[in-house]
Amino acid sequence: MTSINFDFKDKLDKIIGGELHSYCFQCGACVGDCPSARYSNRFNPRLIMLQCIMGQAEELLAEDSVIWECTNCYNCLERCPQDVRPAEVIIALKNMCGARKTRPTKVSDMVKAVQKSGLTGIVTPAINKIRDSLGLDPVKSVPVDEIKKLLR
Amino acid sequence: MSDNGKLKFTPFFGCMISTKYPQFEAAVRKTLPALGVELVDLEGFSCCPDPIYFKAFDKEEWVTLAARNLCVAEEAGLDLITCCSGCTATLKEAVHLLHDDVGLRDRVNARLEKVGREWKGTSKVRHIVTMVRDDVGLDKVEASLVRKLDGLRVAIHYGCHLLKPSKVMQVDDPDRPTILEDLMNAIGVEAVEHEEKVLCCGKACMDPEMPNEMTRDILKSIQKLDVDCMGLICPTCFDEYDVAQIKLSRKFKEEFKLPVIYYFQLLGLAQGLAPEEMGFKRHKIKVAPVLEKLDLAARQPG
Repeated sequence: MTSINFDFKDKLDKIIGGELHSYCFQCGACVGDCPSARYSNRFNPRLIMLQCIMGQAEELLAEDSVIWECTNCYNCLERCPQDVRPAEVIIALKNMCGARKTRPTKVSDMVKAVQKSGLTGIVTPAINKIRDSLGLDPVKSVPVDEIKKLLR
Repeated sequence: MSDNGKLKFTPFFGCMISTKYPQFEAAVRKTLPALGVELVDLEGFSCCPDPIYFKAFDKEEWVTLAARNLCVAEEAGLDLITCCSGCTATLKEAVHLLHDDVGLRDRVNARLEKVGREWKGTSKVRHIVTMVRDDVGLDKVEASLVRKLDGLRVAIHYGCHLLKPSKVMQVDDPDRPTILEDLMNAIGVEAVEHEEKVLCCGKACMDPEMPNEMTRDILKSIQKLDVDCMGLICPTCFDEYDVAQIKLSRKFKEEFKLPVIYYFQLLGLAQGLAPEEMGFKRHKIKVAPVLEKLDLAARQPG
């Protein structure tokens, strides 16, 4: 028998959109049109919301958590009669993976790129040459010191 | 935003278009003047930041950087138009959250104060296709053409973030959208309906296999029909179809070679711009068959 992790629920409630999980009444409308549920044999947004309600932190925040299979398509937001915004609850769960160091490196890499250059893409002389051939100016530089001051 | 009847916006092209698919930026910049739209470039924009990875890292950091981008436009007194569905998702959701959640707005503005900025909510954010439909108007799109692309059959892929969440995006019916069909019809293209029109491309799913399956099913649903190319307005979806078709052909031992074209590239052809100016040689799946059908092939080898 597992117990409800209330500390996890408190933390989830403090992240933008995380608190919405508590409005879920388990109707399952989010599942029917979910592409991840169609293509994965373990992804089910209704069950993820249930696990949030039941405070099942260990499974949800584990390194191989099913939450990373969400495509962020937002079909579940369209279907939910309770405005739970399940995809946003899932993103709030992803935010919580940072503290447990279970975040995929792809996420950290993208964030590091933005911290470093203000962009996710790499601006090379080659890309500016291609831009020039299309009649475009070079990619504008970003005031990176401003970005650094804003990020914690 | 209207200034003596002239439509004026600041464009937000985003990282992916600027650094990976600049041909889309070129197509937008070259086709808008004929629609009576002026673009005013501003200094200081950063990554939107991206609504998948950066948002998965920390939503509050994400909305703070998004708010900073919104400030850049506000300070210039301009509305933003986005050309990438991901940037649209981030910036529109940020506006929605900042309007809706006073506590969040105060926290974000407290951080923005450190760089001498404040989000006030005076600039609107819209995807470029909604601006063309609502502000320019389809009749003016038609009037800008030197020829119609008659006979060209295009399978449309909407992508998720132009339409959803519909309450935030306010673009079209997310289940039965017509905006892209209407824009295609305006330039003489026949928009062909396919079974998986509104299925997600899968690009944002971090499972190694699922995105391949999704893309494959969409391509197969299009292959059943006699179409010349795929038409879309999202660089992430483009990434998933153009580059990925080569990978999928190898993986599934099936042949996928459907040209994929951004709406404003087709608009450019209809406005009489040369195919070279639309940057088609940057596409992995060759668009030559499309150009041949339009009698434009001689001008572009490849």
